[in-house]
Amino acid sequence: MAAEEPGDACSSSAWRRRQEVPEKPNYALKYTLVGHSAAVSSVKFSPDGEWLASSSADKVIIIWGAYDGKYKKTLYGHSLEISDVAWSSDSTCLVSASDDKTLKIWDVRSGKCLRTLQGHSDYVFCCNFNPASTLIVSGSFDESVKIWEVKTGKCLKTLTAHSDPVSAVHFNSTGSLIVSGSYDGLCRIWDAASGQCLKTLAVDDNLPVSFVKFSPNGKYILTSTLDSTLRLWDYSRGRCLKTYTGHKNEKYCVFASFSVTGGKWIVSGSEDNLVYIWNVQTKEIVQKLQGHTDVVITAACHPTENIIASAALENDKTIKLWISDC
Amino acid sequence: MEGDGSDPEPPDAGEDSKSENGENAPIYCICRKPDINCFMIGCDSCNEWFHGDCIRITEKMAKAIREWYCRECREKDPKLEIRYRHKKSRERDGNERDSSEPRDEGGGRKRPVPDPDLQRRAGSGTGVGAMLARGSTSPHKSSPQPLVATPSQHHQQQQQIKRSARMCGECEACRRTEDCGHCDFCRDMKKFGGPNKIRQKCRLRQCQLRARESYKYFPSSLSPVTPSESLPRPRRPPPTQQQPQPSQKLGRIREDEGAVASSAVKEPPEATATPEPLSDEDLTLDPDLYQDFCAGAFDDHGLPWMSDTEESPFLDPALRKRAVKVKHVKRREKKSEKKVMERKEERYKRHRQKQKHKDKWKHPERADAKDPASLPQCLGPGCVRAAQPGSKYCSDDCGMKLAANRIYEILPQRIQQWQQSPCIAEEHGKKLLERIRREQQSARTRLQEMERRFHELEAIILRAKQQAVREDEESNENDSDDTDLQIFCVSCGHPINPRVALRHMERCYAKYESQTSFGSMYPTRIEGATRLFCDVYNPQSKTYCKRLQVLCPEHSRDPKVPADEVCGCPLVRDVFELTGDFCRLPKRQCNRHYCWEKLRRAEVDLERVRVWYKLDELFEQERNVRTAMTNRAGLLALMLHQTIQHDPLTTDLRSSADR
Repeated sequence: MAAEEPGDACSSSAWRRRQEVPEKPNYALKYTLVGHSAAVSSVKFSPDGEWLASSSADKVIIIWGAYDGKYKKTLYGHSLEISDVAWSSDSTCLVSASDDKTLKIWDVRSGKCLRTLQGHSDYVFCCNFNPASTLIVSGSFDESVKIWEVKTGKCLKTLTAHSDPVSAVHFNSTGSLIVSGSYDGLCRIWDAASGQCLKTLAVDDNLPVSFVKFSPNGKYILTSTLDSTLRLWDYSRGRCLKTYTGHKNEKYCVFASFSVTGGKWIVSGSEDNLVYIWNVQTKEIVQKLQGHTDVVITAACHPTENIIASAALENDKTIKLWISDC
Repeated sequence: MEGDGSDPEPPDAGEDSKSENGENAPIYCICRKPDINCFMIGCDSCNEWFHGDCIRITEKMAKAIREWYCRECREKDPKLEIRYRHKKSRERDGNERDSSEPRDEGGGRKRPVPDPDLQRRAGSGTGVGAMLARGSTSPHKSSPQPLVATPSQHHQQQQQIKRSARMCGECEACRRTEDCGHCDFCRDMKKFGGPNKIRQKCRLRQCQLRARESYKYFPSSLSPVTPSESLPRPRRPPPTQQQPQPSQKLGRIREDEGAVASSAVKEPPEATATPEPLSDEDLTLDPDLYQDFCAGAFDDHGLPWMSDTEESPFLDPALRKRAVKVKHVKRREKKSEKKVMERKEERYKRHRQKQKHKDKWKHPERADAKDPASLPQCLGPGCVRAAQPGSKYCSDDCGMKLAANRIYEILPQRIQQWQQSPCIAEEHGKKLLERIRREQQSARTRLQEMERRFHELEAIILRAKQQAVREDEESNENDSDDTDLQIFCVSCGHPINPRVALRHMERCYAKYESQTSFGSMYPTRIEGATRLFCDVYNPQSKTYCKRLQVLCPEHSRDPKVPADEVCGCPLVRDVFELTGDFCRLPKRQCNRHYCWEKLRRAEVDLERVRVWYKLDELFEQERNVRTAMTNRAGLLALMLHQTIQHDPLTTDLRSSADR
């Protein structure tokens, strides 16, 4: 994604001129969603763009309308804080990772928990579906990565991935690879079918990796380390291509995201209460969104519109929706 | 800045270890094998390790040994003698400990069991209070403190309070002689009625100088908080799959110390022991606890690693120096363990922050000892009384009044906010309802259709009955059929004449079926439905028979057929074409159309039942959608959630192209 030509125009711009490069986005705050009673840990848009799921330390998941910001549903069931939530590709199911060492699969329409996946021996920290939504990958404080089968709820594989809590796991767009990042400073890429580790990226002096993600085209990996740096890697060659700094990230596992609906940006939360947006190519900060009153722990981008959802921790507890023209 | 990616890793990156018993593994003992998975004892002079089996020293014996020298060393230097432990201390240890952890005495080395077993054993002993004792298993596993310096054990009070790695002997805490009985450690003690899972000295008796930070006295520990290790590090060996990895890792940490120890620096026992507090074995040993934990019944306060005052005890450098040498499992040497430890410390501090952050709301200000004089004022509107302790109100009334006021104040605003912009979920709901209603419509039409058929059938039957009996040749037609063939009845298995086969099988089936019951607890209550289900009440099983009424063999006996009743079955040509004619044979004789009315009626009824089921399902769906819709904009939802619109013009974030 980073190496693709930078000349893509804003998808929502009326002009659609091929040559026009959007300089900066103009995200403006549109909605504030209030409803959680404790720090929000993660927000994710559904792949069909209709809904926004938010998980929180108050043990519930709330589903909001993505376009109108209105409350839709609450999912109850976990007994401890929820650290992460992820949508299935058909937007009908959610998986949530919680401190009660379980993951739960939810049916959004009925609001019921379909399955509880037990097996981790410590907090489950991150989770994700594969694109086919037949598998769930989860990373936990017990330093392992587990692959689960959605249909039966069985753990298919356990990868003793790291020597420290696993902070992020993600499938690539074809579902053949899994990337996992951990506090031990390593980023590992695994083959999803066999569970073999294909590659290890040692970021630098073993700084804890707080977040990893594949780029939408699957060629690059975005890693975030607790030295306030985001890096874009070409993992096949193992080289870091871009570095994004300027924000503050030294304590928390802050989510970052690619925004590809308009201009190509990297969006990330930060511990100084702002949402940072960088230009992927030039690495400069193009916008900082202000409005939260606590650490912005997560920022997610809508799959089709130029909408960013950001959520903050305990002091704030709100989710904010921002929209831009490009 | 570039990092380096490396290709599939060599084992030390943490993959499946190959070199545990590989070519480069160091060899030990007189047998010169690299096997380290059994009990081993180390010579205190030449530092060589020997398998217990090879030199015929069992673990049990080793427990009693304080200093041990191998045969060679003893031969070379006659002054070296194997020294045994003091009998008394051995006894006490036997009583107290439940696993052979390394005892730290003044001199000598002894061999603890290889890591994983040690962990598990120790863990299972102490920590099925798994969550509680996550870290606490380690210290008392390896710490000399309970062992040596326990003045409370000795009956005679010594003038000079014994000093040890965990007791300076001089501070206030060391001087105490009695347990307070109120702190969490005391309450765990058997003598105070506790489960003896934590097994630590009384909080007030933890040496102020040398004890682990997490064990020391601090006020909040006098509440149910169970102290223990700090959260951060991998508290337990990785998951249940028994891979060499877990023990490896532990080994790595452990033999960090081991390696350092062997370089003649005395390492602190707890430094190594901490990482292994709980193994998965512990967890699996107590499913109840796990259930409790999951069910949220577990008291948050009891979770040790959430205590705010932790530091990474195992890295306390001061302790490191003062502690006594400890026996360790000898594993592969690893370079830069020290660096690993330091880095770990930093990292754990960091992600402990996250925990701390979580802790903040997990431990709301619980003022354990609320000063009665300083109770806040009740929050009820216009109320000046003091609030009840532990509550915000002086009485229920005040609470209700405040809640009502809140609703009056906030609700209108919220309703307005809600109605400001169209709710997309509502639209979805409405569409769903539409669809359901349409389906209901079609189901009803089908039902009407069914009813019509029902009536038709009745008419046919009636008409047929009015025919006169006509005994004619047709009745004899059947006799000419070959009757040598024998069919076996499907129910009873007896061979029967095909002519009477149908009749026989019907009767046979009814006989068996009438012996079973098929019913539900609820009587059928459908409006506008004529006979459908049998609905006969069975007092024994308290159920209503749910077979089709026309078919139920249990509750309806076929009426006796009078001699002159005619069969009346509409005759068909080629199976489907009605000839308009009816079978004229007397019912008793007709073998072809036995029970035809019953079967036809049953057919129709079954169809009707099916349609009713479908309707029922649709009702259910509709109800669900309606409740969801009302709840979404209901009082509770509006009060709990709020969507603030910053830009009144934008009600829908979809770009106009997509809408």
